[in-house]
Order: sequence, then C-alpha cells, then structure tokens
Amino acid sequence: MSKDFNIQEIAKLALIELNSEEQSKLSKDLRIILEHVDALSSLSIDDSNLTIHPLGIELELREDTAEEGLSHEESMKNAPDDKDGFFQVPPSMD
Amino acid sequence: MVDYNNLTIKEAHEGLKNKSFTALELIEESFNVAANSESVLHAHLLLMQDEALANAKETDKRILKGEMLGELDGIPISVKDNMNLKGYGTTCSSKILANYISPYDATVISKLKDKGSVFIGKTNLDEFAMGSSTENSAYGPSRNPWDPDYVPGGSSGGSAAAVSVGTALGSLGSDTGGSIRQPASFCGVVGFKPTYGTVSRYGLIAFASSLDQIGPFAKTAEDTKIIYEAISGYDTRDATSLKLKQRKLPEDKSAKVGIVKELMEDGIADDVKSEVEKVIRLLEKQGHEIIEVSLPMTKMAISIYYLIAPAECSANLARFDGVRYGLRIDGKTSYEMTEKTRAEGFGDEVKRRILLGTYALSAGYYDAYYGQALKARNQVVTEFKDVFSKVDYLISPTTPSTAFKFGEKTSNPLEMYMSDLCTIPANLAGIPAISIPTGLDKEGMPYSVQFMSPELTDISLLNFSSYVEKLISFKDTPTKWRREP
Repeated sequence: MSKDFNIQEIAKLALIELNSEEQSKLSKDLRIILEHVDALSSLSIDDSNLTIHPLGIELELREDTAEEGLSHEESMKNAPDDKDGFFQVPPSMD
Repeated sequence: MVDYNNLTIKEAHEGLKNKSFTALELIEESFNVAANSESVLHAHLLLMQDEALANAKETDKRILKGEMLGELDGIPISVKDNMNLKGYGTTCSSKILANYISPYDATVISKLKDKGSVFIGKTNLDEFAMGSSTENSAYGPSRNPWDPDYVPGGSSGGSAAAVSVGTALGSLGSDTGGSIRQPASFCGVVGFKPTYGTVSRYGLIAFASSLDQIGPFAKTAEDTKIIYEAISGYDTRDATSLKLKQRKLPEDKSAKVGIVKELMEDGIADDVKSEVEKVIRLLEKQGHEIIEVSLPMTKMAISIYYLIAPAECSANLARFDGVRYGLRIDGKTSYEMTEKTRAEGFGDEVKRRILLGTYALSAGYYDAYYGQALKARNQVVTEFKDVFSKVDYLISPTTPSTAFKFGEKTSNPLEMYMSDLCTIPANLAGIPAISIPTGLDKEGMPYSVQFMSPELTDISLLNFSSYVEKLISFKDTPTKWRREP
C-alpha cells in the first residue's frame, strides 16, 4: 500500500483547515499509523466476504409510515443562525 | 446516613424497599461524594442535583404507596456525555458541541426513566469517545480514584471513576474498541460491552457505527446485569437493533473456558499475565475444563480497527459542519465556514482520525485499505465462531498493563492505541465481553480479567461472571483520591 499522500488534499476532502504546524505533525502521525496497518496488505484472503454488520444480519427497515418526530421549532433550536424558519449559511461561492 | 462503601445496586434496592434509608438520602449521599471528590477527579461535565433530588422524592412517594418500579427505582446513575438526555447539554467532550442542548432522549435514557432511575450527571470522556485515557477531553482529563496521578482509562473514564468512587451506583458508557472495559479495568469496577445490536444506539452520538455499543458500569456483574436487562431490547429507531433471543450457556462448573494464546504473549505485562493465570487456577480448582485456544487474527485487530473506525468516523462526523447545531466560525463562503468551524471545534485526535478515515476511503485507496480491512474483519468473526465451537467462554487480560500515568502515552498515537489490544477483537466480532476486577498491583492500581462469549449469550456471560467474581472476592475500595494530586 502506498504511504504517499498529500495532507493538504486530504484536509480539503475532510473540510478541516490545518495550519502548517498541524500539517507536519499530522503527516508524521498518519505515516506512523499507515505503516502499522500496512501489515494487512500482506494477508492473502481468499474469502471475499466482507463484514459490515458483525453478526451478518440483514438490516431491518420499519414500515414506511409517518411517525411523530421533533417539531420544527425543536429541530431549529440549536441552529447557529436561522431566518424565517430556515438554517442560514453564507453563500456557497464567493 | 447511607454507607456508600461497596454498596451495590442490589443492596441499595433492598435498603429502599425495607425503608432502611430513603431515596432522597441515597441521592444526597451521591452528591456528598461528588462534592468531596469532583475537585480531584473531574469525573463529571455536568451534575444534575436539582432534578435528581426531585426525582428521588418521587421514588420515595412510590415506595410509600408500595408502587416501586423495580430494582432501578431511585438508583443513582450517571451517563457518558455522548448520549442525549433531553434538556441538557451533550458535549461529547468537544468544543464543537459546547452549546448543544439535546432535544430528545436516547432510547437507553427513556428506558431508564421508565424504571425510575435517578440521573446524577453527565460524565467526562475522550472527545467523541476517541481515546484511552480521557486526556483528549476538551474540558480537561478525569483522574483515577485509586491514585489521581494515573489516568482513569478511556474513553468512558468519567463513568468508571464515578462508579469507582461511588458518585453513582451505575453508569452508562459506550464501547467502540474497549471504551467501557479498559476504564473499568483501570478503575477497579465491572464494565460490560453487550452483543452488538442488543442495546439501541438511538441517541448515542455516533463514532464508528458498526462497532459502537452502549453498556453498563457497576460494582458487580449482577448490577451490570440489572442495568443491561433494563436498557436492552429491539428498537425501531436503530436499524441495526436485533430481535433475536438470548442463548443459554453453562454458568457453573460445567462451563468450558478457553485461554486466548495470542493475548497472553508479547505486548502483555508479566504481572498482568500472572493475574490472569491466578484466575485460571481458581477455575481449575472448581473443576472447569480449561484449554488454550488460538485466534491468530487478533494480532491484526489493531490494524483492522484503525482503518474501519476512522473510516466510519470520517463519515459520521461530517455532520458537524456549523450549519444545523454546534459551533460555527464565520467564513466568506459556506465551505470556508465549515473548514474553520471544524478546525476550531475538533481536537487533535479527532482530526487525526477523520483525516486517516478520509484517506482510507479516498479514490484509489478504498480497496487496499477499507476493503481489505472489511475482509480481514470477516476472518476475525470466523475465527471466533470456530473457537466457540470448542469452548463456552474465553479468558484474557482486559488491558496489556494496569493504569498508566498522565502524559505517558500522548507523544505517539500508536502507543495509546495499543492499550486496546485485548478489547478490540470483541468489537470487531460483535460479541459480548466483560471486565472484572481481580486485585491490586504493587502500586495499588487495579488488575482485571476479561471474559468473552458468543453473540447473544450476554445473560449467561453475566451470570458466569457473577460466579467467577465470588471465587475472586475482590473487595477493596479506592482511598488515595482523598489527597490532591
């Protein structure tokens, strides 16, 4: 597995701004961790089964009927900024 | 006055029922302990005294009318601060949720409210349950009641410290890679991680959804069983919730026990191994059949975990974007706002795991990292299944060493990750596992053992643990917290 990565690129994907000190510290940490998990690449696993649910059980969905949930007012209560009952955010583009 | 020393939920229930003391006296004693210990231990992020005292009075009224709601009525319980309790903050020990107020109750909270439990407060944790010492809490670490120079373990370190010192008789934690069992081990209490899917995760702030599980802390296995029975059950609000019934295993001398070979080798301190061997001898004396078993994939568990957990965490924590709740740092565009909010709101470990997960899931690396980890996880599950066709329970250490001191493992993230070496396999396999205190090391810090059992044998594991507990007979209580660190 490759350990070549661009920390700025990953931070951009993760939507986290990093200062230069964080970039070098986190790059170093990630390299240490990736080196360790590299052990997995040496495993040859014939079985192609993947485990998503540890007990291998089909997820169950409830009936598609309306149920009572949070009220509009309750849903908006923690909003950092809202207007006319909507969440308000800055424009997506400059 | 209620004597809190070694008081169990079972005994407190008897005391309330027989009117030896009132629920109000019991809860007042909880807050007395908190008043004396919090300045040293910092186990809680929030204490809920007014509501707790009011609820205790309600229990007392029910007792007078002969209408007690069961064994948890009037019992002081605390809750890890990553579970929603309506009307109170849920910070996850993160700055990003500093001002968030829960608009609803987690299913486990509703269930305990129905049983009349009295909530004492919200307990401290590593930010978003990522860590093994509470040193990653944005609000400062908790300390170990057995010696405040040592960490209480993590991530549910506040819950473990609170039960150990006696602020609560039980506490709810969450366990993704050992976050209930490891702090229980460090603080000399019992900590139980149930079968994945038997306790609803609705209202638990998600970290790694395929691994997260809520479970109880208490002083005895019997008490953890009382809490587990109250909080477990199918819930339509959690898509991974199970409808399946429990299976029964032998709970006495006829139980076959396997020693996990790979968890008694390198990387485990000698004194910790000796302590596990001490318990094995106690079981042998009772006539148990004990064999050594091998689970080779446990050697890969940390690698598997540190791909799957960060991958799931990077997706789950994407919701903290400054739009609908929590912290917002202004920016010229919505993207800039989110980037700045997450930069300011998340601590180092959370950023590390989000970035690691983002990388493992990114185009070109997905199959090599995340895909390979899911295949390897399947191998872990298969190995456990094979081993459980030969034995009923597995025994191992809970942790590679007893509690460590503050700052000892903070410079290299891998060193901290290694403290979950023995606990992670049960999360990967979704099986139940418990940590039981067994004794004290030469520094006076608690030892423990871990037992694991097949999926959906939680009740048998808890009954078997009660039986083992009686053989071990660990009765010490912490005293060193009474001095300032």
